[in-house]
Amino acid sequence: MRTMNSVELKARASVKPDVVLLIVVAALTALGIIMIFTASAPRLETAGGSRSAQMVRQIIYVGFGVVVMFVATSISDRTWQSLAPVVYVTALLLLLAVLSPVGAIRQGAQRWISLGIMDLQPSEVAKPAVVMALAVLLAPMTEATMRWLRIAKALAIAAVPAALVFVQPDLGTALVFGFVTVAMLFVAGTSVRQIVFLLVVGLIAVLAALELGVLHEYQVARLTGFLNSDEHALSYNYNQNQSQIAIGSGGLFGQGLFEGTQTNLAFVPSQSTDFIFTAIGEQLGFVGGALVIGLFGVMIWRILRVASQARDRFAQLTAAGIAAMLAFHVFVNVGMTLGILPVTGIPLPFISYGGSFYMSMGLCVGVVNSIWMRRARVPGQRQMPE
Amino acid sequence: MKTGLRLAALGGLVALMFSLLLLRMWVLTVTDLEVALETAESQQIRTVVIEAPRGDIFDREGKEIMAGTVASLRVIVDRKLVPLEQEEGLIQNLSALLGIPAVEIQAEFTARGSGARFPLGDEIDEATGVFVLENNERFPGVTVEAVPVRVYPLGETAAHVVGYIGAPGEEDLTRPYISLADRVGKFGVERYYDRLLRGTPGAVTYRVNARGNILGVIEEIPPQPGGSLVTTIDLDLQRFVENTLLSAIALARQDGEPVKRASAVVLDVTDGSVLAMASLPSFDPAVFSDGRLTELEWIALSEKAAFNNFAIQGAYPPGSSFKTIVYALAAEKKIYPVLQEEYQDLDRSQDPTLFFSDGELRFPSTPVLRDWKRKGHGLVNLSESLRQSVNTYYWSIALQIWLNRGVGYEEDELQLWARQLGLGEPTGIDLPFEQAGLVPDREWFQYNQQNQTGLVRAEGGWAGGDVMNIATGQGALTVTPLQMAVAYGALLNGGTVWQPRVAESVRDSENNVIFTNLPSIIRKIELSEETVAQLRADLNGVVNGVTGTARPAFAGFCDDERDFECAALQDVGGKTGTAEIVQEREATDPADIPEPNQDPYDYILRQAEGRGDEYYGPEIVEAQQAVDTAWFVGVAPLSDPRWAVAIVIDQGGSGGRVAAPAARRVFQYLMGEDPDPLRPGADTER
Repeated sequence: MRTMNSVELKARASVKPDVVLLIVVAALTALGIIMIFTASAPRLETAGGSRSAQMVRQIIYVGFGVVVMFVATSISDRTWQSLAPVVYVTALLLLLAVLSPVGAIRQGAQRWISLGIMDLQPSEVAKPAVVMALAVLLAPMTEATMRWLRIAKALAIAAVPAALVFVQPDLGTALVFGFVTVAMLFVAGTSVRQIVFLLVVGLIAVLAALELGVLHEYQVARLTGFLNSDEHALSYNYNQNQSQIAIGSGGLFGQGLFEGTQTNLAFVPSQSTDFIFTAIGEQLGFVGGALVIGLFGVMIWRILRVASQARDRFAQLTAAGIAAMLAFHVFVNVGMTLGILPVTGIPLPFISYGGSFYMSMGLCVGVVNSIWMRRARVPGQRQMPE
Repeated sequence: MKTGLRLAALGGLVALMFSLLLLRMWVLTVTDLEVALETAESQQIRTVVIEAPRGDIFDREGKEIMAGTVASLRVIVDRKLVPLEQEEGLIQNLSALLGIPAVEIQAEFTARGSGARFPLGDEIDEATGVFVLENNERFPGVTVEAVPVRVYPLGETAAHVVGYIGAPGEEDLTRPYISLADRVGKFGVERYYDRLLRGTPGAVTYRVNARGNILGVIEEIPPQPGGSLVTTIDLDLQRFVENTLLSAIALARQDGEPVKRASAVVLDVTDGSVLAMASLPSFDPAVFSDGRLTELEWIALSEKAAFNNFAIQGAYPPGSSFKTIVYALAAEKKIYPVLQEEYQDLDRSQDPTLFFSDGELRFPSTPVLRDWKRKGHGLVNLSESLRQSVNTYYWSIALQIWLNRGVGYEEDELQLWARQLGLGEPTGIDLPFEQAGLVPDREWFQYNQQNQTGLVRAEGGWAGGDVMNIATGQGALTVTPLQMAVAYGALLNGGTVWQPRVAESVRDSENNVIFTNLPSIIRKIELSEETVAQLRADLNGVVNGVTGTARPAFAGFCDDERDFECAALQDVGGKTGTAEIVQEREATDPADIPEPNQDPYDYILRQAEGRGDEYYGPEIVEAQQAVDTAWFVGVAPLSDPRWAVAIVIDQGGSGGRVAAPAARRVFQYLMGEDPDPLRPGADTER
């Protein structure tokens, strides 16, 4: 134990955070602030408010997020491991609180807890909490010891918050938990056969849900709406059609900042939150959109790199889980705006407007940096289960 | 599998997912760029069509409005701007506001389709309009607009000339600027001059945002108002004629006749202008423009055939009123009646037109034909034959033609003459759905016999009897009142067949004449002055002569009783007619006559579906019942013919008894005498 402690101390003294990762986050954040302004200013102006109101709020959120990020980095990954159960239980309690009369209803969904200055969205807190809880559970496992019982436990850990989120209703976040769980199970050593089995069961569950009416009608409509795109162009598919038109009319280089007619004339709904990518597509074109996706690619690569050099199994699984979670957000969000995936209401990390989400993502990056700064450079020094 | 490899696999999966995104984005932004730009452009622009105000329709003075357009406040629903989840609530609110059952509004929504913009309900008052606009959150996508509504101040007067407007049919939709929401002329001059009356719609193109809020005007094209039509109708005369027809119907009812309708035309024989055209029963054209007409009312009106203009759509056998036409041919071509065997030694050296009428006509291969006057008219010449309406005389003339067919005359000498005068073909009046009538001949007969249409007998050929039937205006011969007015006009004005017209001119909103309906001559026929003079005298003899069939009806024509000669009456002439429908006529098995589509429900459906155009009204051949249709056709003043009047009292009895008195009243009006109330004339030609 003593040697370990000394290694840790040595590591902390000599390692800097992943600067590339921070630059990517900073770039995406800055772009996000600009895009929120372009998307919200015309609407706010029509409504008679200040053009920059939403952007200013986002800047404040980013400020909080940066603080959260640095605090998370300063906390050792070992400490995070010991905190994980507490964080997980806290997240569950908050999710329960949302469903109680404490929860605030916005746009027909009960997802928020009003804190006066801002609304807290517990499902965002639950995202890193579930990742770390799964990491704790799966840390001792190897390919050889991965049994169905352990897989079931992992699924249970994800299923409880997923269920609580699902009834809010927030289908998108529930799906995030599903993807993250499967990805982390895979990294932790689950065999391909087991993964395939899980996916098949999952698919059957989804079909059953569609058949049995577990989902709300609008959820089904959204999930299936993108399959028959022109039939109901004016109803459920409206968002996606407008979104594709916006991105499509951007062309290769975009129409330029503040030049997007779709954006300026407020044709795309929820454009500063879930559909922020349309503002990027219309104003900055394919090149701008590709740059954003590229930046996310770099981000995922850096985080997976952190995972590969993590000093222990918990840290490794946490980093991998965060990478999977971010990747899933990007894929589902952008895929939705491009019309190849259903509308599920998952925001785009660091870019979409929203305080809880930004802080949650900041926390994740902070934890990743914490892991990076305490990594083990030499494979032999890594403490992995046998 | 090593953990590193698993992380790499996860990275690979992410790379794959992101590549998919890039690929899709490339397709959207580069491959489908044009589509996206076009769509984006079109939805940021909204074009609102501004209906052009429809032109007015005036009487011949250009003073009294027969059809006009007023602005009426209506609730307009734009479904493009109604969020789907709010639609049910909106329908409830509209139902409460307009007092229309929600089910009906829902049906209207469904019928119009998603994204449609349409007016809902009847006219609303200003307070209701303000309420809707102030409570816009309860009425999303609803606006209040002044919609032009067609009004017909005259009501039923001249309704068949004016016509009405309605939903466009398939054919209308192929014309420029006509959409399903528009109203187009369906009948009368509203239909015939629809293009000139409707004008060209304008459009305002707005730049809008997603909520449909207007951000600015891009382009504005003002509508071009429709032209105003001045008709040839003399409204005072029109009203007088309609009242007279009503009285005539009442008169026939008193006689116990099953009279259903009456029609009349007053034609200016100097240029073809229609001064009055009436068809009773009539209808109020406004019922079509404001949707007040209920289904039951519609059925009631259409069962009475109120929507048909019998002055041009009613094809009746002309009866004895056709004799005038035969008379003119006989006088012109010197065709004299064939004498029967027992009268061969009649001295015709003084008057070759002499003929002895004993009430019967017997000839080989022809059944015995009996005159309407059983005992006969005695010794008559051409003039007397017209005054007394001697059937045997005209049969005999027809026989003369038939016996000399191919030698002195064409077989269809009579039919050719009738066609010259405009019978058997539409007159080409500027009104829709005109019937051609029928002037039968051998060709027609054979066609129908071969095709077994049931209109002619199955056995035997075209015979002299058929031509004899025509000579007395019976048989398959049918004409419209307008055709008869045109023909009489041509005979008395010296041979000019005018094309009748109801429109004088069309003026644009600045009162510039943009269309003039010039008088047009169909043809000029050769007619000697002697014939015309003789005809004038003998037509006067019908109404004024001692033996005239219409003399009782015209008695007391002049106001001044001391005016023994009654100068005004000296100047009026005409001919009675009674279209006898003899039941034994082989051609008239009612079951064999193809029934025109008279199912009113079917018609309503057609109208609703915009297929109303296929309906041309029943071709009325009154052959089903053994009843008499009363005719009078006359001209005045004889010294300088100006007016031709044709009156038909459908199933009203004999021409002398009901039609002639009605005509007398109209002529009194035209000649400046005080019109006397109707009283029955002599029962003739039964």
